[in-house]
Amino acid sequence: MKKLLIVEDEKALCLLYKEELSREGYDVTTVYDAEQALAKLSQEHFDLIITDIRMPGRDGVELITEIMGLRKDVPIIINTAYQSYREDFMTWAADAYVVKSSSLDELKAKIKELMSR
Amino acid sequence: MIQEVQFSASDFEKDEPKELMLLSIISQSFFQPFSIEDNLLVILTALTSGSGVGFNRAMLFRTSGEILRGELWLGPKSAEEANSIWEVLSTPGIGYIEIIEHNRALLRREADSLTKRIKALAYPLDREPLAIPALPAAKREVAWVKGAWAEPLVDKSFLNILNVDEFLCVPLLSGDEILGEVILDNAITRRPIEHKDVKLASLCGLMAGNYMYTTALHKKVVEMERLAALGEMAMFVMHQLRNPLAAIGGFTDQLLNSTNDEARTRRNLDIIRKEIKRLEEVLFKLSPFLKLDMRKPISFELPPVVQAVLQSTNLQLKREGIQIEVEMEAGLPEILGDPTYVGEALRNLVDNALEATPKGGCVSIRAGRGGKSGVVLTVQDTGQGVPEAIREKIFEPFLSTKEKSLGVGLFYVKRVMDACGGRIEVESEPGKGTLFRLFFKTRDERRENG
Repeated sequence: MKKLLIVEDEKALCLLYKEELSREGYDVTTVYDAEQALAKLSQEHFDLIITDIRMPGRDGVELITEIMGLRKDVPIIINTAYQSYREDFMTWAADAYVVKSSSLDELKAKIKELMSR
Repeated sequence: MIQEVQFSASDFEKDEPKELMLLSIISQSFFQPFSIEDNLLVILTALTSGSGVGFNRAMLFRTSGEILRGELWLGPKSAEEANSIWEVLSTPGIGYIEIIEHNRALLRREADSLTKRIKALAYPLDREPLAIPALPAAKREVAWVKGAWAEPLVDKSFLNILNVDEFLCVPLLSGDEILGEVILDNAITRRPIEHKDVKLASLCGLMAGNYMYTTALHKKVVEMERLAALGEMAMFVMHQLRNPLAAIGGFTDQLLNSTNDEARTRRNLDIIRKEIKRLEEVLFKLSPFLKLDMRKPISFELPPVVQAVLQSTNLQLKREGIQIEVEMEAGLPEILGDPTYVGEALRNLVDNALEATPKGGCVSIRAGRGGKSGVVLTVQDTGQGVPEAIREKIFEPFLSTKEKSLGVGLFYVKRVMDACGGRIEVESEPGKGTLFRLFFKTRDERRENG
């Protein structure tokens, strides 16, 4: 079973992603900030990381930078409410960029695409 | 010994060098709150005032795109008038308002004749062959033209308007940019232009160019700041709306696809309800940016409003571990304002105070008589204080030190106080806490002030 790590400070969205993606057959772990994400990453292997950008404490861009130093091979999806960060140079380092919307279809499709590579 | 010197352009005596006064008038005009056009007029006036120094007439060209366009013309019609302008300028104690009024009157007079013809003049700066007046601007050099009628480089339609044999072209430059050009002549006195006039005019040209450049730059910065603030707001609002919408959409889809799991249905509906409430809060927080729909201030008692605010559940949740002290003077007069907005303003202040105060700290709210028969309400905390660097700006919108705040709370409070004719003050010491004072008017006070 593919393991996903989701970094999201909105608790309701964490719950939603966990339930919906588990139903798609993934093993989902959710954390609320970058610190927790890095702690998890040092303990376990994940096949994909999905992260928000604007979060309390260290933001998603900093997180991506650190993850790239730790684990270059893990694909990253940025999942954010901001469209404008797409131009931000560090977000290019991510494998996909999904703008949050009322439907999970795009996020699910991107995960599927990256997991079948 | 130190002697303090207060300096103004009008301090010059008549026997002092006129060049000095000229430069003084020009440099001081840059600090006056008049439009760029008015200040350029002051420069032209200074250049054309009096036959002893400077010139009889000045013509201003300004560039728009790559084209040099005639804009205005200034100068007396006769030698007598030239002298009278100089008289105006050398009147002891003359202010810029007088100079500008004088200029505007001159311009109105000229509007129908020469200025109209000048405005029809336009010369591209990027197309060869360049004729005068475009040539000096394009080459960025002052040009002193003598024997103009015999000079093939001078544009004849321009010369027909000018109708002199000798004139000076002073480009207005700033860095890479060509801002315009001033043409100066002595059409009335027919006095030959001297070398010192050229030097003085070149200096004025440099100053004017600099002035135009900084003015344009300032305008640009102000506009950029406004746009940046708007952009920040748009970004924040987008985030604030997209997150609840993502949750609402996701949990609704779950409901649509789910089998009959009553507990889960209930949970999802709860989440959806909460997220809708958040959306409403975003709209509410943005309301200061829409026109605050303030009713006419009414007279009302402050203490019940304070009590109602302190009992709100939101504040009750946040006050854990923090002491709240309330002190209200008995028999306070009624204050003027809108009780709903005043309550909301107080809620904002108390909310901030509770957030800034660590556990074990104290937030005190006091109401008493203050000001001139008015009422003053204070909210004081023992939090970390407002850093000095941002203390002056705390009432501006989008300034927030909090992660998830829109930074409109204090802006809102300020607007509420403005709307009810009161005012707000802040005192803060880093590490010790912050004190806000809200001064309200009362009916009595209004009566006393008539």
